[in-house]
This record gives sequence, structure tokens and C-alpha cells, in this order.
Amino acid sequence: MRRAHLLGLGFLSPALAIILMLFLIPVLLTVMFSFTNMSTATGISGGAYEINAASLRKLADAGAQESFVETLGKESFVVDDAGITAAAAAYGEQFANEVGSQMLGERFSSRRDLERAFRKLKSRPRSTRDIKKAADLFKRSVLNIRFETAGGLVDAVTDNGIEMTPDQQELLTKTIYTGWTWTSDNFALMAQIPYVWRVAGNTVLYVVLTLAASVGMGLFLAITTFYLPSSAASSFRAIWFLPRILPNVIFVLMWKWLAWDTGFLSSLLANFGVPPRNWMLDTGVNAWVFIVLINGIVGASLGMILFGSAIKSIPQSMLHASEVDGASRWQQIRYIILPQLRWPIMFICAYSTLSLLTSFEYILLSTDGGPGGATEVWSLMAFHTALDNYAGNLQYGLGAAMALMLVIVGILASLVYLRIFNFNDLVAKPRIEQ
Amino acid sequence: MTTLVSKLRQSTAAAVLAVTAASFAGDAFAKDLTITVWAGGTNDSDVYRLDAIEMAADMLEREYEILGEELNITVEKKRDFADWAAFKQAVTLAAEAGDAPNIVVTSHLDIAPWSQAGLIVPVEDYVDMDAWPLNNLYDNLVEITSYNDVVYGLPQDAESRPFFFWKDTMKQLGYSDAEIEALPAKVESGEYTLANVLEDAKKAVEMELVEEGYGFYPRVSNGPDYAQFYQSFGGELLDKDTGKLLLDKQAMTDFYQFFVDAVEAKVTRKNHIGTEWDQWYAEVASGKAATWHGGTWHYARYTGKEGLDDFFGNIQFTLIPAGNENGRANTITHPLAYLLTAQDDEDDVEIAAQLIKIASEPRINTLHAIKSAHLGIAREQSNIELYANDRWAAEATERLLGQANAQPNHTGYGQFSQIMFKGLETAWTGTRTPAEAVAEVEAEMKATLGDEVIIR
Repeated sequence: MRRAHLLGLGFLSPALAIILMLFLIPVLLTVMFSFTNMSTATGISGGAYEINAASLRKLADAGAQESFVETLGKESFVVDDAGITAAAAAYGEQFANEVGSQMLGERFSSRRDLERAFRKLKSRPRSTRDIKKAADLFKRSVLNIRFETAGGLVDAVTDNGIEMTPDQQELLTKTIYTGWTWTSDNFALMAQIPYVWRVAGNTVLYVVLTLAASVGMGLFLAITTFYLPSSAASSFRAIWFLPRILPNVIFVLMWKWLAWDTGFLSSLLANFGVPPRNWMLDTGVNAWVFIVLINGIVGASLGMILFGSAIKSIPQSMLHASEVDGASRWQQIRYIILPQLRWPIMFICAYSTLSLLTSFEYILLSTDGGPGGATEVWSLMAFHTALDNYAGNLQYGLGAAMALMLVIVGILASLVYLRIFNFNDLVAKPRIEQ
Repeated sequence: MTTLVSKLRQSTAAAVLAVTAASFAGDAFAKDLTITVWAGGTNDSDVYRLDAIEMAADMLEREYEILGEELNITVEKKRDFADWAAFKQAVTLAAEAGDAPNIVVTSHLDIAPWSQAGLIVPVEDYVDMDAWPLNNLYDNLVEITSYNDVVYGLPQDAESRPFFFWKDTMKQLGYSDAEIEALPAKVESGEYTLANVLEDAKKAVEMELVEEGYGFYPRVSNGPDYAQFYQSFGGELLDKDTGKLLLDKQAMTDFYQFFVDAVEAKVTRKNHIGTEWDQWYAEVASGKAATWHGGTWHYARYTGKEGLDDFFGNIQFTLIPAGNENGRANTITHPLAYLLTAQDDEDDVEIAAQLIKIASEPRINTLHAIKSAHLGIAREQSNIELYANDRWAAEATERLLGQANAQPNHTGYGQFSQIMFKGLETAWTGTRTPAEAVAEVEAEMKATLGDEVIIR
């Protein structure tokens, strides 16, 4: 390999690292997560095996015999020789002897009862934690113990004299596992939830309306500023660029001030006898108008810059010639400018579709999907499901599956766009130097 | 030469031994550790949730000193979370990354999922529940902080969620002082129901005592409060026999219908959900709403920041009225709990356990109860003057707590309540009719909760 190649690779490496870290790895993890039932309750890093009231209920539902479930669910502490020997090793002969002489053969149905009995002994350990640990030496059941491995659980069950057939053993370890398991149910689940379909509809609406608004506004700004004197044009462009530079939170907060029922709109309209209301969340339609305006205005600035520079690259002579022919402004726009903006418009459409599909920050900050889920879009739903809800029960698996759908739609859309743009033509080698 | 080498070896070994011994001995006598405490949903008036741990640390250090050990505890407190969702996200992700705070103050509802995930450990493994002050805690509260018959957390406070009436408005509607005084009893017996609420609220709007949308002015975001209205119409959250969650379609439909009726009667705003909390507090504390519902802790906010001087002269409070003959007047108590997270070093967990034990001292908890207008956790608090002399604590406990029930500790309950609220929102805002909303709720619960929910 020539040194020049290495240099090229060197220059490329930051980009490769970014693609790897910020795209490939997250996508791979999303794919992985989406085929699991991972949630707050299952944890991310793996599970354990625990027999308790909740898991026994699941076991019974899974068809385990009633007697088997009952035996597993019995708590028992027995003062026997094995326990006494262990207590002697851990907490001294004196304590063990006292236990042996006073309590041998006794049974307790909870640790708390045994602890109470221990507390009556003179030579008992003098710390609460040691008494609890001493009591655990006499535990002859498996209830409420967390086992890291299935083997550990099975050994403990058999050690306590509970016999299991291989089938029962398999059912037990499968049912009471607390961690996540692989599953493809998430995708079927999504199709079954009516809300998800509504959100899908919202997403299409959001992308189409916002795109129309931002491209429309961008075009309008680019064309109108083109016809302005250049100094006035630059100031207008600078003003329209502000929403993009402003931190999202502040930008949205200003919209909220505008729309609150104690805000600007309400105060202004109160003078005309209109009762105050929260204009942003009043109805679904209101919320959509605000969402489209907020996102559209931010999007418009990008369109304005791109279209503006594209218009500037149109040879002035064409415009001059059209004026000589007596064309009006509108005719110039319709027959000269717009046809030559075809590619930039397509580019903005393509680019914005992809970014709108995944962007939800302005919606999160303004309506948070409300009112009544009317403005909940797909990416926001994925965020709410996987990472942010009042109940705190985060559904990582289902949320990831939702996000994966977006990745798939995004990739498909990109392929379609590449085809439409005919990328090879766009980057064809210049002919001049050949 | 060999002797020299062996001597050198011996002396080196001796030195190493001495140094090790010294450092171990030092360890036994002085232990420095940092205990982090995170509290969710904690405002300025709730700071004793965190400060109590600091006070407990001071006490524990003194106890250790008497036993001849030096213990230095630094308590790191954190409560600046945007909301409950952000708090829970922060705790779960930190715990998954192995960086969990030692102590968490959170809803008892988190016990089920967090214990299954192994994020928290049972507090009963570390403290003596038979000893003071834990043997003085109310048994029903300890039951609420238990899961699978294991005590996972210690109750940090208790509360309940009453229905409020603005007395002045009620008087102008024609209620006499005596009738207003009798309202709590009438609500409890089922004589005054949510239908009456709607009626009175409608009258208040029609007589222009309050503005449109202010006849009945509910909570502005998701919360346990809404499960109360489900119960008002006969809904049960858990089937006691099977331990499974319960969706009672009729009760759910009636509950949604009530809010839709309230919107149609113009007593509640269609766009009410999402109103700013600050605005909401200011409005209800100044009589802008005829009726509303909130929490016992709102007392601190109304009489504090909102400047309502005479609470009892202006506001009447009752249970949430029954909705129809199937339901009952009720209220939900939603205690927060001190939970211990799993840590690599078990000694840290034990120290943390002792801290939350000491923080549960009636006297320390009373500071929190009175400052934040929560209810006590221990019987002995009624013998502490600060608590006993507080009219709100006394009356709220008597009128509400007897009828209060908690939401179930169940790994699926979070989703259950989320779906229930989402359904309410779609019906409330008119996106769906109550029947359609319940059908969607049923489909979603069936899909996500499967066997864990019984649909009736």
C-alpha cells in the first residue's frame, strides 16, 4: 500500500469511527434489543432464578402440578444437626450448644419467627445481620432465594428433598427466570395495538405537513429575498435563521408563552371577547398547526439557504433575457427559477423526510404527543415506550422494535431516493479535463 | 551470603506483615464512606426525605463512636429531576450501569419491577423489623412496601388524594354551612356522588360563579389519582384470588364517560391535560375552580407558596365520591418508600439500611410529615406534639386514611396504569368515544400484559 493510501485512510478514519460508533453499533444494538422482551423488570444485564409468590403464580399458569407448586412455595426453617454444625463453625460452639439444647427439632414457618427465638438466647450473635445470617443456616426451603444459575436452583431444590421430573425441572427453570429472553413477539405486538396504528398515521401526517411547510416557506423566502436588495436580503435571512441557532428548549418555550391560556395570544384575544384557552393543546388540529409551524420554521431556514444559493447560480443572462421578452416576476419564477430548483427541492425533500422521521424533540418539548396522543409520532412513541414514562416501567425490547421499524423505513426510503436521484449521474466525472 | 539473603527475606516479610496489619487495623477503626440518596418528585417542602438521612448519619456515627469505631459518612443528596419519568429513567439506567445510588426514595410501585430485576435488595435482610422504630410503623404501610411477602422498603411517608370543594362557591350554590360540614359524611355514605359533583359544577358555571371549564378542575397529568375514579365506578385494580390485574370494562367505560360528560357540560376543559402545574395550583388555591381533586400534600402548597391563609375556612375536603351504585367513595394512598439498591459491597448496604431505619424515627419523620403536609408512618407520631397539634394531619388522617387503599405491587401495573391513562386522554379529548377508547385499552392490555390481566 502506498503512503498516500494510508494518508487517505487516516483522513477517513474519523468519519469511519463516527459511522461505527453513532450508526452501526446503535443499529446493531437496536436490532438485538428488538428481539428480546427486555424491560425494567427483566433488567438489561441478565437475570436470576427466584421462587416467590409471583413466579409461583406464573408456574401454575404454565401448567405445573398444584402439589409441586405448593411444595416449592412452602417456607421452612428447621433446627437440625446440619444447621447446628454450621452455626458452630460460624458463630461459635456456645451459641450452637444453646441452640441445640433448647431448640433442636423445632420448625419455623418464617425467618422472622426463628430470629425472634434466637433473640431469647444469651450467647446469640450481637448484631442483627449476624442473627439473620445464622437463621439462614437453618433454612430448608428455596422460597425467596435468588440463584444466579439454573444449576444452583436445581441443586438447592433437590437438596431440600423436593423431587422433580426432568420436565418439571425444565418448566421450573424456564418459567421463573427473571431476566430477558429472545423473542420475535414485539413485532406482532405492535400490529395488535390500535394506538400504534394511530401513531403511524400521525407520523405520515407529520412528515408530509412539515415537509410541505418547510419546503414551501423555504422556497418563498429564497425567492423573495432574491428579489430584494442584497443588504436587506441578508438581514431577512439572518432573522429567519435564528430559530435554527436558538436552543430548542428556548425556541419552544417562546411558542408556549405565545399559546398558553395566560399567554400572549389569549391576552390579546381577550380584548376582543375571546375566552382564554391553551391554544396549543386546545384541540388536535390546534396542536398540529403548532407542531407544523414550529418544525416548519426551523426547517425553512435550511431550505432558504440551499434554494437561495441555487437561485444565485442561475445565469443572470437568462433572467435579463426574460425581462427583455416582457416576462413578469411570476413568469420568471414559474419558467426559469423553479425548473432549475428541481434538484435542490428533491434533495431537501429526501433529506428532511429522513430527519423528520426520527426527530421528535420539538414535539416532546411542545405537546409531548398530546392532546390525547393526537400528535404522538413514531419516534416519540419509541422514546416513551423504551425510556420515558410516568410509571417507570421501561419496555426496552418493544421500544427498540419500534425504533428498528424506523431504521428499516429510513434505509428503504434512502434506497428509493438514491434511485430517483440517480446518484451515478449526479457524480459523473467532469468532461472538461478528459 | 545465604544467611544474609534469608535475613533480608525475613525482615521484608515482617515489614510487609506489619504494614498490612496496620492498614487493616486502621480499617477497622476508621471507615469513610459516601452514601448517595436520590429522591423523586421532591420539592422544596419535601427536603426532609433527604435531610433525614443526614440526621440519621449523624446519629449512626455517634452510635459507632460509643462502640469504639470511627465511621465517617458523607451523604450525597440529589432531587433535581425534571419529573418522575426522568427520575425513574435515571435510577434504572444508573443501576444497570452498576452506578446506583445507595438509597432511593420512590413510589412503592417500583418495588415489583426493580426487585425482579435485582436492582434493589430486601430491607428486611438488614434490619430488625421487631425493633424500634420499625416495630412502630403502621402495618398496612409495611404491607404496601412489601412484595412477595418480603419487606423490600420502609415507608417514607403516607398520603391520600381527596376531593376538594371551594366553600364560597358551594354557599352561593345554596349549600348552608351545616350542609357543607356534613358533606364528607354524605360522600362516604354514597349519598353525594360524582353525578352530584357534575350537577353542582354545572350550576356553578351557569350561574357564572366560575368560568367555563372550572366547575370540576382535575389533576393535569397522569397519576394514581385517576385510578380512584375507576374505583368510584366499581373497578378493582387487582383480583385478590389470583393476584392478577383486573380490567373491568364497564367500570372503565363509566369512568371515561364521566370525564366526557364533564367536558360536554362545559365544567371541565377538553384540553385540560397538560395545563401547567404552577397555573393549576394558583387557580385552585384562589377559588377559581368550584371542585377539584388533589393530594393531602397540596395543603402545604396552598397555604405556603400560594398564600391561602385560611384553608379550613375556604376549602372542604372529602373522599373521592362514588360514581354509581357499583362503586364506592374511596381514596388512594401512594406512599413513597426508602429502598436499598444492590451494591458490590454489602457493608455499604448495611450502613444504608441502618440510616433509613434511623430516618424512620417518629420524631424525624414528623419533621417531613408536617413540613410537607404528608401523613405519618408510625403510630407514635400522634404522641409527638408537632404532629398531634397539626390540624391538617389529624383531620386528613381521620377522614381519609381509613378508606384508603393502595395500588397493587405488580410488575405489570406500570403498563396497566399507563394504558388506562392513555385511554382516558383519548376519550377526554374526544379523539375516541369512551367505548372505543376502552376497546383500544382492552386490545393493548391483552397484547402487552397477556396472562397477567383478567378482563371482565
